[in-house]
Amino acid sequence: MLKLISCELAKLKRKKFIPFVILSAFMFPPPVALMMLTPRMMERYDTKAEFFDDFYQFVLGYGVELLLPCVIGVIAAMLFFMERDNDTFKNLRTIPVTSTQMIFAKIIVLFLFGLIFSLSSAIAAILCGSLIAEVGGLGYKLWLAVELGVFVTAGTLPLVMLVVFFSKTYIFSILLCIFYSVLSLTAEGCYEVMPRFLCWLMPIPLTNLWCAGDMVLHGTRKSVGQLQYLVPTTTQTVLILGVMSVLSVLLIDYLYKKRGDD
Amino acid sequence: MSEIVNKIVIETKQLTKQYETQKSVAKLNIHVRQGRIYGLLGRNGAGKTTTMKMLLGLTQPTSGEVAIWGKPLSGNEKKLLPRIGSLIESPGFYPNLTGTENLRIFAALRGLKNQNAIQSALELVGLPYRDKKLFSQYSLGMKQRLAIALAVMHDPELLILDEPINGLDPIGIAEVRSFIRALCDERGKTILISSHILSEVALLADDIGIIDHGVLLEEESFADLEAKSSKYVHFTVSDTNRAAEILRDIFHETQFSTQDGHNLRMDSTRVPVAKIVSAFVQQGLEVSEIATVEESLEDYFKRVTGGEGIA
Repeated sequence: MLKLISCELAKLKRKKFIPFVILSAFMFPPPVALMMLTPRMMERYDTKAEFFDDFYQFVLGYGVELLLPCVIGVIAAMLFFMERDNDTFKNLRTIPVTSTQMIFAKIIVLFLFGLIFSLSSAIAAILCGSLIAEVGGLGYKLWLAVELGVFVTAGTLPLVMLVVFFSKTYIFSILLCIFYSVLSLTAEGCYEVMPRFLCWLMPIPLTNLWCAGDMVLHGTRKSVGQLQYLVPTTTQTVLILGVMSVLSVLLIDYLYKKRGDD
Repeated sequence: MSEIVNKIVIETKQLTKQYETQKSVAKLNIHVRQGRIYGLLGRNGAGKTTTMKMLLGLTQPTSGEVAIWGKPLSGNEKKLLPRIGSLIESPGFYPNLTGTENLRIFAALRGLKNQNAIQSALELVGLPYRDKKLFSQYSLGMKQRLAIALAVMHDPELLILDEPINGLDPIGIAEVRSFIRALCDERGKTILISSHILSEVALLADDIGIIDHGVLLEEESFADLEAKSSKYVHFTVSDTNRAAEILRDIFHETQFSTQDGHNLRMDSTRVPVAKIVSAFVQQGLEVSEIATVEESLEDYFKRVTGGEGIA
């Protein structure tokens, strides 16, 4: 499997989108930092540590939870369309590499990019935060970024399944990713009117709620207010995302096999 | 030697592939013998590629079996496929990588330990090693060469090559032809090659299978084919009536036909031509042309498929 993963990474050589993934992780922290430096925002916080905690949450909320699904969706389109577009599937299958092995390798690569993006966002936030506030609880914050990277990538697998299902152009896949992020953002704005099962069925809002709850548990956020009843435990989050991921991977495998045999 | 020659490497039994109502391949029984080049000959769309795909497990047969080295392919892919090198349809590589980088990926996945395997394969097909040119910038001929390099890189015992000379220039064709011949003669590889170019198959193959509309019409060795192919002697003489009399009276030959006053075709090769010519001259006939005409592979193909030529 390691060989397959390294080969999947090698296939992305010279793809211009890949360095952009890392750069895009640095896109949110500076403007968010500037926005939070306004006096109206500053007066909300008693300490600089509180200020940083909120800033960090903003960066992860917008950067990781909203931008990462798009990034993962586009990389998935690149990875999953690669064999179809270049007619390399036959070369791989005659080695033989099974479509299931190929899919696992590609999904692990997606998780790697999810982690890279999430950690890059965290590092960018910490760098910006150290200039304007007091950075505290670094260990937990980095761990949270790791967890978030994994959870958001897992939560994006249903989107990856749709990308593979439609198997259309890159533009269509990008539009699908944007739609997914906008849908998640809209749901996050409607927590108060949405039933709990619906919030938990949507992977990104589920992760968002878990993240807020986890930050409260670790003392980096005061409370989640009236939304406490919506906050899932880590076990519940892992379980729901796990079931979604397994189902998505099974469907991707089915679709990939079917297309390969056609 | 005959034991090796007779050993079957690829055998299909009633191999059939049906797409909805259309049969692409129907009840195909082919036999590829060890250490020989088998030419699968057929028009475009005859079912050659589908057959080869089924031999590699790239597409599942609707019915029938594929056995390679005596083992069914289905369920033994992990054991059998690493011993096979293949080129199916157009060359498939990653356009953003160089030829060497592309081969490196497949070499890693095959677990090739020989560090020189990539360099040797590229040199064998006349492509540079560690060149900076990306696959997307390759010409059609270079792409085809790279695909052949991929097929031979892991030193397989069996090669399945679908139209390997596609896109090559005349010099490239000759190079690939002699390279394929050498692989068989010097390194004992078994090669199944498909083509719609009769002259290429005639120059390369030891055994021939003719496929048309998914059905294998003929399968035999090239030597048997040559022995079976019809031969006749064509004479251009001053008087065919007189020539006919001579053939009948002196040589008791009846298998001939006169085409006009000067051209005569004799389908039998029982009597040596020199004796006939001598008799004609002695009887006062002028013989202006003699030709022994052998049926070409194209004529044979036309006869077997009952249609027009192939290319």
